[in-house]
Amino acid sequence: MPEKENGSDISYSMTPFTGTWTKALAAHLLRRTMFGPTNQQILDAVSAGMVPAVTALLQIPAVGLPLTYHPDETIASQGAPWKTSVYPSDPVQAQAVNSARVGSFIGWMYENMNNEQVSIAEKMCLFWQNHFASSVTFDMRATYDYFNLIRTHALGNFKQFVKDMTINPNMLIFLDGASNNPFSPNENYAREFLELFTIGKGPQIGPGDYTNYTEDDVAAGAKIFTGFLVEGLRSATLTDVTATFTPVLHDTSTKTLSAHFGSVQITDAGGNEYANYIDVVFQQGEVAKFICRKFYRYFVNYDLTPAVETSVIEEMATALIANNYDVLPVLSELFQSEHFYDISVRGALIRGPLDMLYSMVNGTESQNNFSLGTDYEMQTFIYGISSVLGQAYLEPPSVAGWPAYYQEPSFSRLWMNATHVKTRFDISSFFTIYTGIPVNGDNWKVNAIGFLDNLSIPADPVQVIDDIVDVFCPKSVEAIQKLILKSILTNGQPDFEWTIQYNEYLADPVNPTFSDPVRLRVELVLARVFQTPEFHTM
Amino acid sequence: MKRRNFVKSLALASAGTPILLNNIKFQSIGKKLFKVAIGAEDRVLIIIRLNGGNDGLNTVIPRDQYANLNIQRSNILIPETSVLPLTTEVGLHPVMGGMKGMFDQGKLGIIQNVGYPEQNRSHFRSMDIWSSGLIDNPPATGWLGRELDLSYPNYPDDYPNATYQDPFAISMGYEVSATCQGLMANFCHAVNNPFDVYNLSTSGSVNDGTYYGSHIEYLTTLINQANEYGGQINDAANAGNSLSTLYDANNPLAVQLQYVAKMISGGLESKVYVLNVNGFDTHDSQVIGGNTATGTHADLMKRVSDAVSAFQNDLMLLGLEDRVAGMTFSEFGRQVASNASFGTDHGDAAPLFLFGTCLDFSLMGTNPVVGNTVINQEGIPMQVDFRDVYASILKDWFGVATSEIQTLFEHNITYHNLLGACSLGVDEEELSKDKALIYPNPAFGNSTVRFNAQNEWVKIDVYDVNNKLVASVYDGNLAQGQHDVPMEIRTLPAAQYFVRIQKASGTIATKLLKVK
Repeated sequence: MPEKENGSDISYSMTPFTGTWTKALAAHLLRRTMFGPTNQQILDAVSAGMVPAVTALLQIPAVGLPLTYHPDETIASQGAPWKTSVYPSDPVQAQAVNSARVGSFIGWMYENMNNEQVSIAEKMCLFWQNHFASSVTFDMRATYDYFNLIRTHALGNFKQFVKDMTINPNMLIFLDGASNNPFSPNENYAREFLELFTIGKGPQIGPGDYTNYTEDDVAAGAKIFTGFLVEGLRSATLTDVTATFTPVLHDTSTKTLSAHFGSVQITDAGGNEYANYIDVVFQQGEVAKFICRKFYRYFVNYDLTPAVETSVIEEMATALIANNYDVLPVLSELFQSEHFYDISVRGALIRGPLDMLYSMVNGTESQNNFSLGTDYEMQTFIYGISSVLGQAYLEPPSVAGWPAYYQEPSFSRLWMNATHVKTRFDISSFFTIYTGIPVNGDNWKVNAIGFLDNLSIPADPVQVIDDIVDVFCPKSVEAIQKLILKSILTNGQPDFEWTIQYNEYLADPVNPTFSDPVRLRVELVLARVFQTPEFHTM
Repeated sequence: MKRRNFVKSLALASAGTPILLNNIKFQSIGKKLFKVAIGAEDRVLIIIRLNGGNDGLNTVIPRDQYANLNIQRSNILIPETSVLPLTTEVGLHPVMGGMKGMFDQGKLGIIQNVGYPEQNRSHFRSMDIWSSGLIDNPPATGWLGRELDLSYPNYPDDYPNATYQDPFAISMGYEVSATCQGLMANFCHAVNNPFDVYNLSTSGSVNDGTYYGSHIEYLTTLINQANEYGGQINDAANAGNSLSTLYDANNPLAVQLQYVAKMISGGLESKVYVLNVNGFDTHDSQVIGGNTATGTHADLMKRVSDAVSAFQNDLMLLGLEDRVAGMTFSEFGRQVASNASFGTDHGDAAPLFLFGTCLDFSLMGTNPVVGNTVINQEGIPMQVDFRDVYASILKDWFGVATSEIQTLFEHNITYHNLLGACSLGVDEEELSKDKALIYPNPAFGNSTVRFNAQNEWVKIDVYDVNNKLVASVYDGNLAQGQHDVPMEIRTLPAAQYFVRIQKASGTIATKLLKVK
């Protein structure tokens, strides 16, 4: 890939960007950190300035709990949270209740993405779900706790995050930590902990030696992690699922780590031993590099060139260690850096399914607002589409996460193939010019009119197309494409005809005689934009 | 799947009479002649995924293990008298009459106890292993994707093109199959309905050499590919035909297989079709208590059996039988003992079906031995490595060189004779390795077996489908080189047999069909 872009050198500098802060750059920042910024959110970021815009993004707003909406939920009240509700003792009924909670949880998760504020929260949650790629368990209270842990630590301390995740009940079940004991050791978590969660697997340099750790370290880790059980699963009496340390199930022997960890001995420390071990692992600088590479690939570009390694990753890793593994300062530095705004990385990623889907609705300021059950079921409908397109939240294909985030050499291209292109295009028609998502007699689709009203000059077709392209396409489109889009908007009429039509609608906005034609033209333009290759990059 | 220097289908189809081509002696291979016309390029493989882990013990039932099956799984065990007997040892689930008919016609093969070492009982992991054909390495590519990568290394760049107008593989439904994942792209094109029309537009942007530009080019390629593949599929489906009346419109697998029949008969040159049936994770209510031949599993197996037998019937009516072979697989079998919920939990090995008219075998392997005490979480041990099944299919069906096949897998491949009965032609080189050729076959009277030996002891016997010895042909030393050994089989009843050649250098089993 190029060392130069348009004849000028690519900047790999991590020093703060000092160039002109434009709409295109603000849009780049918001597209990479949110699921679908609106035109107004982009303009607000421009007027705020780069540093305040970054600061505003780096906070995690609180969200409420998932609520009961399905009649199969027989314990929690309708409209109330089920998070601390027990299960029926009858297993068949408990299964039905759990299914109702799955629906509620998915609807809630997807609604969070749909309702995102100017914040990196939702993108960070997806990042960590991909990193600690667990799937759902059969008790949704445990799955909620797992997801809440992600949200709590999303911009927090990575080391503490790993410690808490290690004894998270959902994870203890998913990677068999709860069945790992001295009598039947299970290395599942101990292996993924090193290979995928902390230090990463380097090239094999000897028998069972993966540069950063060895098979013996995996075995030692499995012993260290012994002793935790999960209580309360589908319980008819316990209101939460918890991890408990059971001393008799803990391997009290002294574990000796390999030379990669300084041959350190981990002595018995009961229920705190796992944390001592994690502290040792985090003394290795490779841990910082490993997670910073993942940040880079997720937020900036898939291509870890030698220049990126030496200039960007080294700098990020140094900052992460200097901040004792606090994530926020490192991301702040990254999002303010010259390199992040270098033209070479703009559009360097292909949108994942969730990015693509929520960009269509969020970008057009479309939040569904019917009844609780209808809203959740509409979000669940998007969940189904995201699954067809290869990215169902909480169903990563493996513990390594989605291949588009790690699989060389294709990376984000793996989101797309000739089949998914057609499906994505069909879905964008469905969300724009067709009925949208139908649930309980209501329909939800793009909000063409509201979106149009908030553009800078809705009566000016040239400006409308410019704004639309600014919002949805990272590097604009060819001039001829803008003309095509404008001709769709004006239905082939001269520009002033659009101005007249829009002003007639403004004068009588509730009259469908005037609003329907305006809405339809914008929907047609959006359909076309969503069916360009440009929209599917970011 | 490489184009090999065999007879091109056109050459023979247009001739009608034997033609002498370089180094190929058609006269000596009798009946084979008519099957040589089918080149590897024209062959189609159907893969049916039984998603969730199929209970092999209630699918292919070991009839000689009933006493102990009753100890292990009495609440789900199918009554002995309802089982459809195939041989004295095995029978099929009572709903599988369609597949029993195929077995009786030599169009269904059963490989017993297929799995892999150290079975992983996670659905995700195990399906990754089955899709990739890799156990120790991360499942970045599928086994067919790797093979296609070797043959078409630049895919998807410049595809489709004048030579390869059609998708290399098709998965029925909305998802492309992990089996066809190549390094750069997935070779599968997902088709939910082949009559769906594609008319996607591009934006005309060009690759300016940046990351962004290369993505735009890639996406534009995919859009063009979607249109072109979509058009080809659409054209084929419209041109295609389906003649069988056995398809049930309420059986989703049957509907999809009928689409496949239309696409194949309409001239689509896709080599692989992947289909999926969900619902085999039968932890509970696998059967209806008290009526164990009914329930979820019965419904699923009926769906599979009915659909596959309708499809085979259609292929026969369309004259396509020798071009199409199929297989089923599932990520694992289920445990020997049932649970209290009338279900079974994740297990290990299970039987696998192959179907078509080119089978070399009908029943491979022996029944699993069911113990008389319940062992917690016990599964069926593996006897045949699933990767060897894949490798053998690539070799027999697509004529891929063994040296190339070996490069696709981690382990040292053991080949089984699975789909070699419709020879791709007499490849003298291949013959010199480990093949045997029986001619004429089907045999009206006596027949001859041709094979290579290496100055070694050789024993040739003929067995029936129940593995019973019916004729001893030869027992002695043979010099190095090719041998044609006559077989006195004139008096054998019309049936399917296996000619087994035991040599110091390895055993070969080849199917022999005796007709009146």
